[in-house]
Amino acid sequence: MSEWTQPLGALTAADSGAFGGKATGLGELIAGEIPVPAGFAVSTAAFDSFMEQGGLRARVDALLAELDPDDIAAVHAAAQQIALEMRRDAVPAALRSEVVQRYGALAQHAGESAPPVAVRSSARGEDSAEATFAGQQETFLWERGADGVCEAIRGCWISLYSPPAITYRARLAATGEASAMGVVVQLMVDAEISGVMFTCSPVTGDPSVVAINAAWGLGLGVVGGDVTPDEYVVSKVTRELLRSTIASKDFEYLPDPGGRGTARVPVPRERRSEPCLAAEQLVALVELGRRVEGHFGSRQDVEWAIARRGAFPESLHVLQARPVTATGVAGSEAIADRAGKSALALVMGLYGVKDDDLPPVSGS
Amino acid sequence: MATEPGFPSPLSISTPDGCEGWEEMYPYHALYSEDRREVDEGRLWFWNSMHFPDPMPAFDVVAIDAPYYALAGWQNRVFAVPPSMGIEYRIVNGYVYITANGVSDPEKMAERASYFGPRAGYYFENWDSLYARWREKMDALIAELVAVRVPELPEYEPDEIAFEDRNLAYFELLDAWRSTLRAHELMWQHHFEFLLLGYGAYLTFSDLCKTALPEIPDQHIAQMVAGIDVLLFRPEEELRKLAHLANELGVDTAFVDGDRADAVVERLRETEEGRRWLEELERIKDPWFNMGSGDGFYHYHRSWLDDPAIPFSAIRGHLDALAAGRDIRRPTEHLRSERDRLAEEYGSLLDSEARGAFDTLLGLSRKVFPYVEEHKFFCEYWFQSRFFNKVREFGALLAANGFLADGEDVFHLTRHEITQALEELCLTWAHGGPPRGPYVWPPVVARRKEILERLRDWRPPPALGTLPEIVVNDPAAVMLWGITPERLRHWANAQAGGDTLVGAAASPGIVEGPARVVRHVEQIVEVRDGEILVCTVTSPGWAPIFPKIRAAVTDIGGIMSHAAIVCREYGLPAVVGTGRATAEITTGQWLRVDGSSGVVTLLDSPPS
Repeated sequence: MSEWTQPLGALTAADSGAFGGKATGLGELIAGEIPVPAGFAVSTAAFDSFMEQGGLRARVDALLAELDPDDIAAVHAAAQQIALEMRRDAVPAALRSEVVQRYGALAQHAGESAPPVAVRSSARGEDSAEATFAGQQETFLWERGADGVCEAIRGCWISLYSPPAITYRARLAATGEASAMGVVVQLMVDAEISGVMFTCSPVTGDPSVVAINAAWGLGLGVVGGDVTPDEYVVSKVTRELLRSTIASKDFEYLPDPGGRGTARVPVPRERRSEPCLAAEQLVALVELGRRVEGHFGSRQDVEWAIARRGAFPESLHVLQARPVTATGVAGSEAIADRAGKSALALVMGLYGVKDDDLPPVSGS
Repeated sequence: MATEPGFPSPLSISTPDGCEGWEEMYPYHALYSEDRREVDEGRLWFWNSMHFPDPMPAFDVVAIDAPYYALAGWQNRVFAVPPSMGIEYRIVNGYVYITANGVSDPEKMAERASYFGPRAGYYFENWDSLYARWREKMDALIAELVAVRVPELPEYEPDEIAFEDRNLAYFELLDAWRSTLRAHELMWQHHFEFLLLGYGAYLTFSDLCKTALPEIPDQHIAQMVAGIDVLLFRPEEELRKLAHLANELGVDTAFVDGDRADAVVERLRETEEGRRWLEELERIKDPWFNMGSGDGFYHYHRSWLDDPAIPFSAIRGHLDALAAGRDIRRPTEHLRSERDRLAEEYGSLLDSEARGAFDTLLGLSRKVFPYVEEHKFFCEYWFQSRFFNKVREFGALLAANGFLADGEDVFHLTRHEITQALEELCLTWAHGGPPRGPYVWPPVVARRKEILERLRDWRPPPALGTLPEIVVNDPAAVMLWGITPERLRHWANAQAGGDTLVGAAASPGIVEGPARVVRHVEQIVEVRDGEILVCTVTSPGWAPIFPKIRAAVTDIGGIMSHAAIVCREYGLPAVVGTGRATAEITTGQWLRVDGSSGVVTLLDSPPS
């Protein structure tokens, strides 16, 4: 046991080579006592083993060799062929038996015989250049049973050879080393409300606020951008709601009534324009955002969900956190211009006096 | 300069019926006139309802002239604040409109900077010792004013005149009048010595905060700077102590709601404990009851000494709170720790470059701010209430000699007319001939009282003239009146009315409740528990009513205005600077006040 899988809580940043960035990021969150749904990670070695069995890697490499990344039709054909090849064999039996045990432990934890789980890709070096690419990799929600999980793991692996992924890697001229993938399996949060939050203003970079987007149901709508979420800007310093824009949230993603997967359903009319977060929830989210930020020591982009069942705030979970990279420091030029100046020079600056026109100051 | 429609021409304002001749109450230079049409129409004039919410009685124009000599004198001629000269005013239908004169020529600004730098630098560096010197100057000036003696005009001068080389009564009278006006001018000179530098320091800090932390609410900037133990809070503190004492002595039942203060005092005199309480009141009265009920710009803004209705009603309110088991002490420890926590947290969010400037400017702002907050007690309340009382003594003399029907009527003459009347009184006293004054002044006063009464019902537009493309960063305009380009544009667009009013989000929270519109200071005793105060502006003398209200909405004022500060302390929502709340809202109207977004909504009815 535990050759290819580890509980999320056992992982640290040092394991990112073996399990991928998402898995170890969740491990770090758990170490920081951030509420993360229980789960386990599948190592990249499991993927390698799968690729080695029956000469699969050789066949895949052959399909990729000489492929022109700009020839879209050819890339699609190759991706299809690779997917077929990868579906031909079962996942390694040893991995399957580990998954059975780990899933069983999750089931016990959840108090359910076949609890729904989310299965997500965890690429190596997720917070580096591959971060944007990582988003294109597959996520399977609401899977049940060890077999379902194994199928979803295979689905994640296959997504490493999706047409955009193939093109991306070919352009980067990446070596085979990059094309290894870990997988995360976590208990599903049956979210009543979910969304993302930035621990700074996504527009100005102001670090004194937390910007929260939220919508009804599972987080797909907010993350995927097909539901316009409510927007809340909350002071990180006082927890006051500084402003909010309540959107008409016409659709939400819910667990498919069939028991597997998700369904996009209309929101009852009377709930559409209702704010989905109350003051108490906003405060708890800000606290949580600050803890995540404090734990990693940098501004964070946090995916969160509030479960339908259970009491708040225990029902609040973090699904993912990663560093914010895309905002500049607010007004940085204007600030740099003020560094090291006397109070008087700063006051004169406000009055539009240029540095060259600053008079010598009498006295000391 | 681009023009935006929205404000009427200052020369297009017509005189309300029955108010013909209002112009005679005011200086010729304060009127809009054909000869200055072009220049006056091309500028933006806004109604200074913050300082002058009521139509001006003729004498009270001293409280426009004297501050504006001083403001512009220091700003333009002493410190030469690079982009700002001074405030210019006009009066229309009795209401005061002002405009800020700015400098935009870069060469001129550089020239001014060469004066501003060393002079402002001297003040910033020596602030504490200069402020200590200022306190001495003000104490001396108040003592000097109080000591001014308004002489009787006797049938025969006393022996001292004949045997001891003393001045005659007429000279003493005219000299006393000149000394009174002189002290007033000097007080306003002192008033502005530090104020603009204080505003400049604060605005620089505020600007840095908003550059580094664009989402920071103005109110948090204000909270980081505001003083905790400032003298301005002391009078209110003394009332709380008096309430505690009344409770301890068991004389709280003497404070019957709705009773006049003198009836309460009468009841207190009847018992040993009551007399002890009155002794304590006597002990703290001077100086702390020199607090004003208004802002000191009108003769009827009396001090607590003159009119104890407000402090006594506040004590009653505190007693009720004590009876209900509430703690009425000001949470100074909490305020202080919250202020320091905000500063520490915001500071820690900045990188090292910004942190240095943040600490430097926060330090400067905190150094200058006690003056910004405290000067009002000495100038607007203590001095001004004593000044108007001194003028009352001259009024009583004129009335005693038949020049006025009542001493209080003196405030319906200009200072120049009072000088003339006193001169005539001196002449006729000396030579014994028949005075004209008793025929001339009483009808003038009667007509002016009638005009002012009518003008009170006229609602002045928030602004006149042309909105400039660039609103100069004038420290006084921003700090005192909250005049920003956005605010002006909103006022211009809002002329049409509607069921929402927008102002500055001054204190967070959302509440609903019935409005109590207070246009004049004497109406504030009408405020009832649970009402939303709607007023042109508040002043620290109003602090006692805040525990009663649910929220505050003002026509004018920025986030450092009094209403904003007090509401934050009491945790009440406030929206300030709406431009027209008192014009749009009537008492009893149901309102929703959102102090977080700065929106006031007029609702149809209370929720069932």
